[in-house]
Amino acid sequence: MKGIYFSYWLLGLMVALPGWAKTIPASASMGVEFELPQVQASIYARPYVAVWIEDKKRQPVRTIQLWVGDDEWLKDLRSWWRKVGRDDRSVVDAVTSATRPVGQYRFTWDGLDQQGKRVEQGDYTFYVEVVREHGGRNYIRQKITLGEESFVLQIAPTEETGNITLHYQLN
Amino acid sequence: MLNKKFNAVVVMASMLVGLTLSSVASAHPRWVLPSHFTISKEGGDWLTFDVTASHGTFVMDKPAGSETAQVVMPDGRKERPDFVLRGKRRSVFDFHFTEEGTHRVQINGTPSYVTSYKAGKRDTQKRLRANKVERAALLPEGARDVSSTLNYTRAETYITVGKPSEKPLPLEGKFLELQPITKPADIVATEPVRFQLFFNGKAQAGVKAEITRDGTLYRNQQDQIDVVSDEQGFIEFTPEIAGRYILKASHRAPIINNPLAEKMNASVHLTFEAILP
Repeated sequence: MKGIYFSYWLLGLMVALPGWAKTIPASASMGVEFELPQVQASIYARPYVAVWIEDKKRQPVRTIQLWVGDDEWLKDLRSWWRKVGRDDRSVVDAVTSATRPVGQYRFTWDGLDQQGKRVEQGDYTFYVEVVREHGGRNYIRQKITLGEESFVLQIAPTEETGNITLHYQLN
Repeated sequence: MLNKKFNAVVVMASMLVGLTLSSVASAHPRWVLPSHFTISKEGGDWLTFDVTASHGTFVMDKPAGSETAQVVMPDGRKERPDFVLRGKRRSVFDFHFTEEGTHRVQINGTPSYVTSYKAGKRDTQKRLRANKVERAALLPEGARDVSSTLNYTRAETYITVGKPSEKPLPLEGKFLELQPITKPADIVATEPVRFQLFFNGKAQAGVKAEITRDGTLYRNQQDQIDVVSDEQGFIEFTPEIAGRYILKASHRAPIINNPLAEKMNASVHLTFEAILP
């Protein structure tokens, strides 16, 4: 009797699993238009920027951009450092780059996680943390659903970020 | 007439001085304030620490030495800080942190003893700086209700280099001690924080703790959070605002079979930061 229940359970699992594990299409990617705005300040320093993705359990999936320069200041990106940076030095080494001046930028997330695996379809959060010395900090959270439908999402500007537009594309 | 007035002033003044002195001796909480709580620089970094005793949260006031300062490394071994300076109203030391994990920086006192007693026709409450052994030679004839108290205070904070340690740092099993259950580097404003209190190595119920945010000088109210440890010694509270905080926990208890005191008054003064959510 127990054996029968177990095989039903196993069968159920086999039906359900492919549904859970369905990844986003192989050609899917997310383009990001990102702007560092002009800020009036007596002392202007280029801001530190982290852009990353977390899954619905708030676990980090991938750090897309990290503009810091010197790793002494990584900790000033308080949220990114606590949630991502301090746990995995290799992430830092893989993505870190120099700080950037005011301007408009474009970058693309290839839909892969930090280990290089295509992510599953489902709900994620797009994060931006921008911290400027002698200036402010902005922390942006945007829920996104990655599936088989493309989308374009605008994120309103803040003090330290200009227009941000997400383009989820399937080809 | 004038003379009388003058005398009264002198008496008042000396009473005030007496009050001030006695509070200097006993009541200013000692604490440590690090320049940073987190290090992300590869290969480590230098941090600097201020040690003082004061009533205001993070207002430097009375001299407190750093000669006994220790850094408990992530593996539990203890190191001495470099560059200890003693100033008039604080002391300072620096330390080069290089090992990944959670460090406890502690400036522990040495046990000090106070004997209290009643004397005279009016049962005046008096105090002596003496333990059970020393007091015999010092107490006046007819002293009543004599008891000696051991005072011990830990001033401590936690520094995290890179990833916080999984394993908690060892406790000494003596006096009052605090074990962070929420990792110090994971204290975030608006999220609950959980600590556990131990007295002589055992989880202790009923320990009172007050938690105060930086900057008491610039607000009208202390805005302090008061908590009492539960049956297993746990306290839980939520710092609503990001910033630096001091937690002052203390516990008074009778002690038996101690040759020097009948009571203990043990405290932990922990400095921590709650980061922005």
